[in-house]
Amino acid sequence: MRAFLLRRLRQVGVTLWGVVTLVFFLQRLTGDPTYLLVPETATQADIDALRHALGFDRPLWVQYGSFLAQLVQFDLGQSVVQNTSVWSILLSRIPYTLQLAGGALLVACGLGLPIGALLALYRDRLWARGLAGLVFAAQSMPTFWSGILLILLFAVTLGWLPPSSVGGIEHLILPSIALGLLSMATFARMTRTALLDEWTKDYVRSARARGASSARLFWRHLARNASIPVITVAAIEISNLLAGAVIVETVFAWPGLGQVTVQSILARDFMVVQGVVLLGAIVTILLSLTADLLYSWVDPRIRLDGQTR
Amino acid sequence: MKSVRLKWMASALLGGVLLLGNGLALAKDKFTVDLVNEPSSLDPHVQWNPDSYYVYRNIFDNLVTRTNKGDIAPQVATSWRQVSDTVTEFQLRNDISFHDGQKLKPEDVVFSVMRIVDPKFASPQRGQFDKITKAEVSGPQSVRLTTDGPYPALLAQLVKLSIVPKHVVDAVGKDAFNLKPVGSGPYQFQSWQRGVAVTLARNDKYWGTKGPFATVAFRAVPDAATRVANLQAGSSDLGVTLNSDLVVPLKNSPRAKVVSVLTERVAYVRLNTTKPPFDNEKIRQVVGLAIDRAGLVDGILGGYDKVLGQMLTPVHVGYAADLAQPVFDLKKAQALVKEAGPAAQTEIELATSPVFDQRIVQAIQQMLADAGLKVKINMSDMASYLKRAQGGVDGVPLLSFGRWSCACQDADGVLFPLLHKSSSWSAYRNPRADKMLEDARQTLDAKKRQDAYRGVSQIVMQDVPLVPLYQSASLYGAAKGLEWQATPDESLFLNRMGWKD
Repeated sequence: MRAFLLRRLRQVGVTLWGVVTLVFFLQRLTGDPTYLLVPETATQADIDALRHALGFDRPLWVQYGSFLAQLVQFDLGQSVVQNTSVWSILLSRIPYTLQLAGGALLVACGLGLPIGALLALYRDRLWARGLAGLVFAAQSMPTFWSGILLILLFAVTLGWLPPSSVGGIEHLILPSIALGLLSMATFARMTRTALLDEWTKDYVRSARARGASSARLFWRHLARNASIPVITVAAIEISNLLAGAVIVETVFAWPGLGQVTVQSILARDFMVVQGVVLLGAIVTILLSLTADLLYSWVDPRIRLDGQTR
Repeated sequence: MKSVRLKWMASALLGGVLLLGNGLALAKDKFTVDLVNEPSSLDPHVQWNPDSYYVYRNIFDNLVTRTNKGDIAPQVATSWRQVSDTVTEFQLRNDISFHDGQKLKPEDVVFSVMRIVDPKFASPQRGQFDKITKAEVSGPQSVRLTTDGPYPALLAQLVKLSIVPKHVVDAVGKDAFNLKPVGSGPYQFQSWQRGVAVTLARNDKYWGTKGPFATVAFRAVPDAATRVANLQAGSSDLGVTLNSDLVVPLKNSPRAKVVSVLTERVAYVRLNTTKPPFDNEKIRQVVGLAIDRAGLVDGILGGYDKVLGQMLTPVHVGYAADLAQPVFDLKKAQALVKEAGPAAQTEIELATSPVFDQRIVQAIQQMLADAGLKVKINMSDMASYLKRAQGGVDGVPLLSFGRWSCACQDADGVLFPLLHKSSSWSAYRNPRADKMLEDARQTLDAKKRQDAYRGVSQIVMQDVPLVPLYQSASLYGAAKGLEWQATPDESLFLNRMGWKD
């Protein structure tokens, strides 16, 4: 376990360095942010002076060096657009993204897992096929479209829910549904496939032959064994929910990390983009690590040294 | 008897409460504005973007302002006089207090001017004020500003100069001031919920017209369709930056309406006249003749914008109302292409950026193709577009679409940067035009300026270094009860609004 964690920690270090380096240089290929900060009438001398004040006239490797030096001190720098520290921007946005990801995960799991189970258990029924069609439709709808449709129906036409922005729990419902529907379909498909895989295995036939009840068979054996691939998907989907929130947060004016990412990319606010990507990389790595640890907990045959017992 | 009296009293109390409630419902206590993004900063000197100045122009007073008609009017300054060609003296009001109770003094005006022109402060707005070389207190309630030469556009620029309190900025520093700004305007800063809203509260001690709403929330709503839905659902009272397609549902909404205004922003096509094929005057004229401006305005933009034949609008100093309207003549354009021969067959790049209306850019490409030119659209991000647009004669693309605003309503902020040889925006070389632009910049004589700019506009029409297309409209969605006249300078002054249930 300890050796496993140490090995993973080394990988994490290399991965994070690769991510921040890639983002640092890719962003700088996309243009000079100084032009976006000044009025059109600014003279070249004014633009040059501002570029100098912001440090963008320094050689690239000097900027990179100072960025890494700041990073090892956990300093993400200062936003050139918002004139405040990147940490304060990220910290103010993280709670909203977590709320939205939590709401969406609730929708995705709360609907996706039971629907997947129903699709597996009643796979030959006509209504189950119809339900499968609906699941695929939910996955096919882009969130910028489903989001606006939800707003028009529930906020504008029916007036049941607020159309956008934050407030009470009622503000969270529509964006959670819009974001959660995509992952719901993935959870449903994955659960269905995993359950059907398990269904054909010998231990299931033996259990049924021994007279195990359907409920016991499902909860005691099938659900537990089928959860391994579902955990993998959950780790990926949580990362996707955090990343996919970019569009939903924009449509619903939800002030999370996704919204600030879009704004910062458009404004070439390099430091904020670097901070968001670094944070995203850390979250993805941690989720992947958690999934690895969960495998061994759910199925003790899986060992963390990569071998099976 | 006692019970009857009690019932009567209860009824009277209930009636009173209902009446009071009804009375309160007539007032609009909380007003909600949907911006595109949250302000990048509330320090009026450290950024330049609409979402910031929509908010902070209500927190701060400016030295001078513009009326809804566009005339320059007193604000902190009550009057001004030209002491010499380069020195202007301003008399200041003595009854203005900042939100912390301290009086606004001439020292605050001097501090604000010197702060924004200080190269070390690196304000993005510095270019608008860098002709000012000195600011000094010249009396108990007066200041003098010195410019590096005669500068006729000084007042037009000063409408954007917000006065900040020296004692607060000195005490708390730039970063803290940005987070909790103190001004002297009709609204004072109340809170900033990052990413969600900036909330302002009415300054009940304001010296001028007080705001009609007790509190105002400026929210960040990046998606335009959501801003429209918020208006339809009644969850916002004003939404900015809409287009002609998006406002269609508002026309039939029981809760909202469309507010539009022609701004000082001009849509145009710029030609690099120093490179083939646009070093050929005939091919330049093709561009001017082949673009159906009325088709763009009525067919694509919903008729809100207005066709223009010059780079200035009626709200600019220097606009010449008597100049001819532009002509759309496809046959003549086609004939000129034939006349030009192989020179007209060069592939022409039309540079644009996603922030511009691509329907317009594609229509222009098609119209030029109909005339016989080979035009290829080259889309790049705004930063790269701007870098190339300011690349001088070597870097400026052959054709580029743009929308120009100097936020000063003065020809000097439009024609000089786009045409004069000293500007990195200019891809045109004409000593006669340069001389006229220099003369107009260096004289305080309004008639001479007007004549010079009229002359430059005529040169533009004949020589076609630029093809003006239309005066852009700003479209807003507003709650039915809002009484407000949008202004060409795209400001949202809350104390000029009203509410009627």
